[in-house]
Order: sequence, then C-alpha cells, then structure tokens
Amino acid sequence: MDTQHIRNFSIIAHIDHGKSTLADRMLELSGAVSKRDMRSQILDDMDLERERGITIKARAVTIEHEVDGERYQLNLIDTPGHVDFSYEVQKSLQACEGAVLLVDASQGVEAQTVANAYLAVEQDMEILPVLNKIDLAHAHADEVAEEIENSLAIEATDALHISAKSGTGCEAVLDRIVERIPAPEGDPEAPLQALIFDAVYDEYRGIIVYLRVFNGTLRRRAMTRMVGTGKVYEAVEIGRFAPVMTPSEELGAGEVGYLVSNIKRLGDVRVGDTITLDKGPEVAMLPGYEEPAHMVFADFYPTNPGEFERLRDALETLSLSDSALSYQPESSDALGFGFRCGFLGLLHMEIIQQRLEREHDLDMIQTAPSVTYRIRDDDGTETEIRSPGQLPPPDTYADLMEPVARTTMLTPVEYIGALMQIASDHRGTFVRQEHLSPTRVQLVFDLPMGEIIYDFYDKLKSVTRGFGTLNYELLGFHADDLVRLEILVNGESVDALSSIVHRSQADYRGRQTLKRLRKEIPRHLFEVRLQAAIGSRIIARESIAALRKDVTAKCYGGDITRKRKLLEKQKKGKRRMRQVGNVDIPQKAFLAVLGGEEK
Amino acid sequence: MAHTKPSSPAPDPRAEPATEPDPRLASGGRAPEGTPLYLHLPFCVALCHYCDFFSVTAEGQDIDGVLEALLCEARLRAPASPRTVYLGGGTPSLPSAAQLRRLLDGLDACCGFRASAVEVTAECNPESLDAAKAAALLAGGVDRLSVGVQSLRPRLLEQFGRVHSASEGLDALAAAREAGCENLSADLIFAAPGLDAASWREDLAALLELGLDHLSAYNLAFEEQTPFARRLARGELVAQPEACELEQFRITRELCSDAGLEPYEISSFASRGRRCEHNRNYWANGSYVGLGPSAVSHVGGVRFGNPRAIAPWREAVCAGRPAAQWSERLDADERLGETWWLGLRTAEGVDPRLARRTAGFVGRDDPAGTVAADLIAEGLLEERAGRVRLSERGLPLADAVAARFLGGF
Ligand SMILES: Nc1nc2c(ncn2[C@@H]2O[C@H](COP(=O)(O)OP(=O)(O)OP(=O)(O)O)[C@@H](O)[C@H]2O)c(=O)[nH]1
Ligand code: SF4
Ligand SMILES: [Mg+2]
Repeated sequence: MDTQHIRNFSIIAHIDHGKSTLADRMLELSGAVSKRDMRSQILDDMDLERERGITIKARAVTIEHEVDGERYQLNLIDTPGHVDFSYEVQKSLQACEGAVLLVDASQGVEAQTVANAYLAVEQDMEILPVLNKIDLAHAHADEVAEEIENSLAIEATDALHISAKSGTGCEAVLDRIVERIPAPEGDPEAPLQALIFDAVYDEYRGIIVYLRVFNGTLRRRAMTRMVGTGKVYEAVEIGRFAPVMTPSEELGAGEVGYLVSNIKRLGDVRVGDTITLDKGPEVAMLPGYEEPAHMVFADFYPTNPGEFERLRDALETLSLSDSALSYQPESSDALGFGFRCGFLGLLHMEIIQQRLEREHDLDMIQTAPSVTYRIRDDDGTETEIRSPGQLPPPDTYADLMEPVARTTMLTPVEYIGALMQIASDHRGTFVRQEHLSPTRVQLVFDLPMGEIIYDFYDKLKSVTRGFGTLNYELLGFHADDLVRLEILVNGESVDALSSIVHRSQADYRGRQTLKRLRKEIPRHLFEVRLQAAIGSRIIARESIAALRKDVTAKCYGGDITRKRKLLEKQKKGKRRMRQVGNVDIPQKAFLAVLGGEEK
Repeated sequence: MAHTKPSSPAPDPRAEPATEPDPRLASGGRAPEGTPLYLHLPFCVALCHYCDFFSVTAEGQDIDGVLEALLCEARLRAPASPRTVYLGGGTPSLPSAAQLRRLLDGLDACCGFRASAVEVTAECNPESLDAAKAAALLAGGVDRLSVGVQSLRPRLLEQFGRVHSASEGLDALAAAREAGCENLSADLIFAAPGLDAASWREDLAALLELGLDHLSAYNLAFEEQTPFARRLARGELVAQPEACELEQFRITRELCSDAGLEPYEISSFASRGRRCEHNRNYWANGSYVGLGPSAVSHVGGVRFGNPRAIAPWREAVCAGRPAAQWSERLDADERLGETWWLGLRTAEGVDPRLARRTAGFVGRDDPAGTVAADLIAEGLLEERAGRVRLSERGLPLADAVAARFLGGF
C-alpha cells in the first residue's frame, strides 16, 4: 500500500464520551465486522473492560474506507479515557499522524478532554474535534464547541456533530479523516524502522509485538533486530488487526500491524524499542517513550509465601503489555517477601491487582496505596523513602518531602465553593481559575499526591454530584510537617500498616485507621489491643474484645457433615490471613489506612 | 419457604454437594446388627420459623404412603436388632395412633427392635400429643418421649411460628406421664430475641418443677435459609448480645444441676441413667442408619444422606433402591479430628486412645493429641483421668476449639 493511501489516527476523549462506540461504527461502516457479529464496544474484549464498561488498553484496528473511488487503509487506535491510562494514549499517539478528539455534547469539555488533547498538541499532530451524543435531549453542541475553542484553542466551528450510538454522521468522520489527517511520510525503500508501541504475551505464540512501520518494509521470514536490546528474531508471522489478527506478507512504511517471532523471553522485548533488519544498515532509534511518572505505590505479597516466584512471573508478564507498571522486590516484617509496585493511579492499581488474581490465579495481600516520599539531609542530599516503614528517626534528616501534583478540575460553576473548600481541607494551594463557558469553570490547585489518593477524588465526585472531573501531573517534591503514623497490634508495631501523614491530620487519621481495623480484624480468644502512635506518643486506642461464646447448639447425626464443613470453611478463611504476633489480620485490614468515608 | 415442597424435585440449597454415593455402602450393604436406627417423619402442622430440619406441612399429604415408604426402606436397609431407635422429624406424633401403630409393628417385623432396643425415642409436639397418642406410642414399643415445648412465653411461641400454646406444652408433658412414660424429655429454646435472663430463669424453673428426666435446651440459632435468618438479615429480628447468651447458657447449667439434671453435652441435661443413648452414639462418632427423606447414615466409615425431598426418596425406596444422594468418606486424619470435635461436646470428653481407634488412625504421632496439648496450655481444655474435656472457659467456645481439630492438622 502506498503511503498516500494510509491514514493513522487515535480516537481520544474523556472517559465515557463514546470512543469505543465510535470505533464500533467505523468497523461496521468499513465492513470489517458484520452487523451480525457486532456487539457494543467490540474492541473492549478484556473481561475487566466488559465488566466495568471502560477501555483499559488501547486497541489498534485496520479498516478500509473509500473516498471518491479511491481505497484508503485506515489504522485506528481506540484509546482509554480514564486518567490512569493516559500513558496508553501517549503511546498510541506516537504511532499516528492525527487524532479524533471526541467530546460528549451533553457533558462538554472535561478534565481528560483537555489532558489528552494536550498530548496530541505536544506531538504537533492534526486534531479533528467531533461532537458526540447529539441524539441526547440535553446535548448543547454549540456551547461545547465554544468550550473547545476556549479551553484548547482548537478551531471547532466546523466540528462534526454525530451520534456514535445511532451512527448519525459517523461516515462523515471517516471522510474527514482521509481529507484532513496527513498521510504518513515514510519511505518504503529506506532501511526498516518500526516502533514497538505495545506487546502482549500469548501462551502459545509467545510475545506478540504491536508495531508501526515508519520507514522501509517488513517482510515475512525477514531476520529482524531490536535496536535497543540487540535481540535478533525471525519474523515468523506479520499482519494487521482486522480486527482479528490477519496474516500478510509485508507491512510497508506508514502501516500498523503485528509481528510474531516465537519470543518467549519477556525481557527480550521492550515497548518503545525500534525494530530494523538484522543485516541492514544501522538505523537510528525512533523516539521511544518516557518512563511514566508513577503516582501510587502499593505492596503485593502472596498470601502463600511459597508463591513469591509465581507472583514475580505474573508481574513480568503483565508489565510487558502494561509498561506503566513498575515493580521491585520488597520485604515486610509482617508480610514477608513481596513486591512494591508503582501505578499511574488507583484504578490502574485495582486493575493490576484483579488481573493478577484472575489471569494468574494468585491470592495476594495488598497494602494500602501510598506515595513515595523523600528525605533531605542538611547538606541537601535527597533519599527516596519507598514505604513508611523505611523512614528513619526524625532527628536524622532535615526535611521530609512529599510529591505534589498540579491538579486541574473542571466543574459546573455552582460547585466552585465546595471544591475550593475540599481542596483547602486537603492542603491544596490555589493556582488559578478560568471560565470555559458561562456554566463551566476550570480550577487549578497544587495538591499533595497523598491527599488525592487518600480521599480527595471521592470527595470531589461527591461534592460535584459526579460532574466534576480531575486531572493531575506530578509537579515535584515539597517539604511539609509530615510524620509517621504507626499502628501497633497488641503492642507490636506493624510496618505494613504504618503511613506518613501531615502532623495536623495525624490524630484524625489515626482514629479512622483504628476504627476500620477494629471492623476488619476478627475477634480472637483474647483481647486484641490496637494503638496508633507518633514516635512514642500514643494518639488513639481501640480494642477488640475477646470472643467468649462460639458454640453450635444442636449437633446430631444429620447435622455432622454440614456443621463440620462450616467449621472447616471458617478455618480456611483464617489461613488466608496474616499472623502478626498471634493476631490474625485479614487481607482487607491492610487497606485500613486508606481514606474514604467511615460508614 | 425454606422447605422443599414434596412434589418439587428442585434440589434443596442446603443439601450436600452432589457427590456420587459410595455404591457399595450406600446401596445393598446392610449395617451390622445392633446399629442404632433413626427414622425421619417429614410432616409438621406448620413449619417453625427457626427450623432447618426437612419437613413439609402435613395438610393434604399422603401420610400413609410415606409411612409405607419408610417401611420399604426399613426392609431394604434397617439393621437387625438396633440398640437404639429414634423417631425424629418433622413431628412423629402427628400421624394418628393407628398409623403409628402400623409403622411400629411393621418396623418390629423387619428388625425386631422391641426385643433389642435399650431406648426407643419419639419426638412429639404439644398439638398432637394427648394421653391416648402417648399410650399408643408406648404400646408400640416407644419408651422415651421428647416433647417440643420450646417456650412458655406466648409472644415467643408466636415469634417461632409454633402452633401450640404454653399451657398445651405443659399439658402434653402431663399427658405423657399420665400414659405411663418413665423417660420424659422436653426441648426449650433460650436467648431468643426479646427473651431476657430473668424470664428465662423463671420459665426454666417452672419446667424443671415438673420433674423431667431429661432436658434439651438450645441457644437459638439463625440457621441459614430459614425465615429467621432472613428476618435477621433484614434487621427485623435482633440477635441477643453475646453476654446475654452466655448468661442464659450459665443459668441453664446452674438450674438444671440444682434440679438433678446433669449436663452431659452442650445442650443436653439428664438425671441419672437417663442420658439419651441414641444421641450419645452420634457424639461418640459411632455408626447409625437413617431412614426417610433427608436422613443421614454413617456406616463403615462412610456418611451418606437421602435427598431433602419426599418424591425422589419415595420413588427410590418403593422401587427397592436405596435413595442416597450424597456420600463422603473421610481419611483417618479427618475422622480423628471429627471424633475429637464431637466428643468434646460431651461432659465426659475424649479418651485419645479410644478416639484413635474409632477413627481407625494408625499413625505413630497423634496430631490431635498435639492440638489438645496446645489447647490445654491455653486453658480451653483440661485433662482428668486420661480423658480430655472442655474447661469452664472452653465450654462456650466449643466451636472455636473444634476448628483446631478440623480441616486438616
Ligand atoms: N446516547 C448516546 N450514548 C452514547 C453515544 N456514544 C456512546 N454512548 C454511550 O456512552 C457510554 C460510553 O461509551 P464508550 O464507547 O464505552 O465510551 P469510551 O469513550 O470508549 O469510554 P472509555 O473507553 O472508558 O474512556 C456507553 O453507554 C455508550 O452506549 C451516543 O452517541 N449517544
Ligand atoms: S415442629 Fe419441629 S420439625 Fe416441625 S418445623 Fe417446628 S421445629 Fe421443625
Ligand atoms: Mg472505550
């Protein structure tokens, strides 16, 4: 295919604005999927995506479209909208020359509309604004077009009005893509340069590499070399996603597709690496990806200590297809050996945890999410503190610093007051405020990252009745009056339950944590004493009274099997807990230091 | 309704998981001579809201047919000369005197229990036990009557869904005595929602005044899938706080002892020589044969049960086939744990050597003994004269103690 007849684009938007639904229509219009095989958000094929109704991973598909009798190959990438997966958007854009910026005409511009549009602007690419959901009665497309112009400085007067759900206007989007998005510039005769923009592990076929060819042509059976890792593999199969993997003989410059080389060693493939021909001339690395800034950290420990290696393998496999996941070995007095993992946000963390449990059948204990801190010595040297347990005594450092994020919130005007209040309650510093339209406003605050994950996000959603949206970017580390909040169980400090908090909030957080622990830790045959402490000062206490009665009243011949099974089940439940001293602490209790309303 | 209708073959949610019954034991093989025998009569006037036994409302049921089916099953599987017989349910006093007579005659004809049994119990309910019914049971070979009095408080009887009054409960006990019953027991429930300690003390004392031979006093349990469990979940009923339950548990033991009924199991109290032999066999993890829908048998190390529904059970036994729907065979370790669990419910406790023999455990180290030693150190068990039993503190924690012996050592 000559490059003049190729268009590569991503569909980007705020969460739920209809990207995957628009992709459905495009697949239908191009005939890639028949009406009979069509189902909603067909590209969201991961179980978790279907359960939650959101896109988690970007998906590439090749479709065909005809304009004025000419056939074009369109490589579209449907991207996720949630803030935690913006890294997926970034990677996808790198494989494209343009982006369709979809905006829900009933909701207007939201935080990830802005954030994702900026990612496209940074890449200097063609952005086509499209207003979706015009079928809804409360759609106000003209006002939203104005918001786009005000907030993003993107011309939107001729933005297409569509309904991805009904199909209205969707064909025009394809026409406009062909018309406005530039064809790729690569030279099919030049030495091969292809970007690995994603990879997944397939048990039978090994690693499947997703690539975008920038220059040259990749042919089946060619010997390829990865410029970064230096690994050489034969191209056993190459092809396009149509949307199922469809083998072809070659992928030319400008095209998007996959490569199978029977690669089983996960370390051999790095997303962001460049592929070239082994015997060809040296080529430069294509611009890869920046390591994403991990915002949230949590430890995973296998419930069964014998499964440490299995957990490592599972993390390695997952991190291949999710390069935003980081992990390194960690150990805890209370929980043994596990991994400290870095995530882009809480949803990302939850998804990884569930994928580990489901796809890899692992049972894990997870600590409450936290951020990474830094300490600074008198001479200015900074040391990273990965978990609260690692914090040295306060007299050994000059400053304890926490990550601060520039936080952009978009909200209907009536909630400004409430948002200002919660931001200041969470130690936010006001930066600026801008009106996007008479009814919507953008507020910018600098907020400690720890506050955002503690409960700020939940609060924002509740005070704005779900209409407020938020985006954040790491700004840097700022010193504040932070202390370690320790939790003692029957007098023993439990490292996995400690946290770093602002001194002014320590009492409150200590009491909240103990209240939650009290609910999660089962009663024992003895009293369980819980204490929260800062240094040697106890700031809160709770106790869990000893169990005094636990006996089945009736037990006759017909009851024995069933009652025995009940007792066995209770005992099994206990085995899944962790013992600290002689206290059994269930999995959920380790999340007790996290915020959220105490019901 | 928690109870499966007789006509519906739908599996009862509380039924055991469908394991293939052991073909040898659940079918042809007859239990050894003398094995205790249980018969389940699955009818009640109305179903009580806390009850999780399998039973159906009697109205419109073919009682004769079911009794006939019980005899079919007895001919198929009843052991010869059972040492004890227990008619449970359901409400065994519900059929007419003539129906009961036919059942007992038929049973004796196929296993000779009248000559062999040292104890033959029938569970009775006040609404269907008068002197004539009691006399018919006694004449038929029953020598022990256990009457479901449950409470002396009208409000509680109503809450339970019982169909008799408090005075009918007392009348039934009097009728049993009048008919010549010399081994008389009553069932009572304590710690029901709204029952305070003083009222319980009063009711229990009033009942003990009557000079019973035996008492079963149960802490109310919210059994899964009963109307009571659902009401608890909806917040319509409130369970008693632990401290109140404990207090009533202690009052029970104290008053019974004062009245000469010694506790011999968590919920069972008896005067000298009047312990229920049939039940003691369960706690000794002995063998038994159960007939009737939902009845469980334990023979040759295999436990197996009939379906919790009348139709499939009846169809099988009338066609001369065993009705067992599930079975389980535990390994020696598990049997050992089970033997300890059951044995520790009794006042005499467990003889570790005997427990190993019962369980067929031949290993050198006794894992249960190790667990017991820990529990003795923790003050939950105590050892006297070679037997291990629950301590004063361990008694109300019997399940927590049991869990240490179950689910593998
Ligand atoms: N009424 C109406 N609903 C739409 C339209 N387009 C999408 N939706 C609905 O909006 C919801 C979200 O659609 P998706 O296509 O999953 O949105 P998305 O942008 O892919 O969401 P993420 O991938 O999670 O960011 C679904 O319930 C769709 O049915 C539209 O044009 N009109
Ligand atoms: S009478 Fe007895 S068996 Fe029947 S429902 Fe009531 S408690 Fe259960
Ligand atoms: Mg989507």
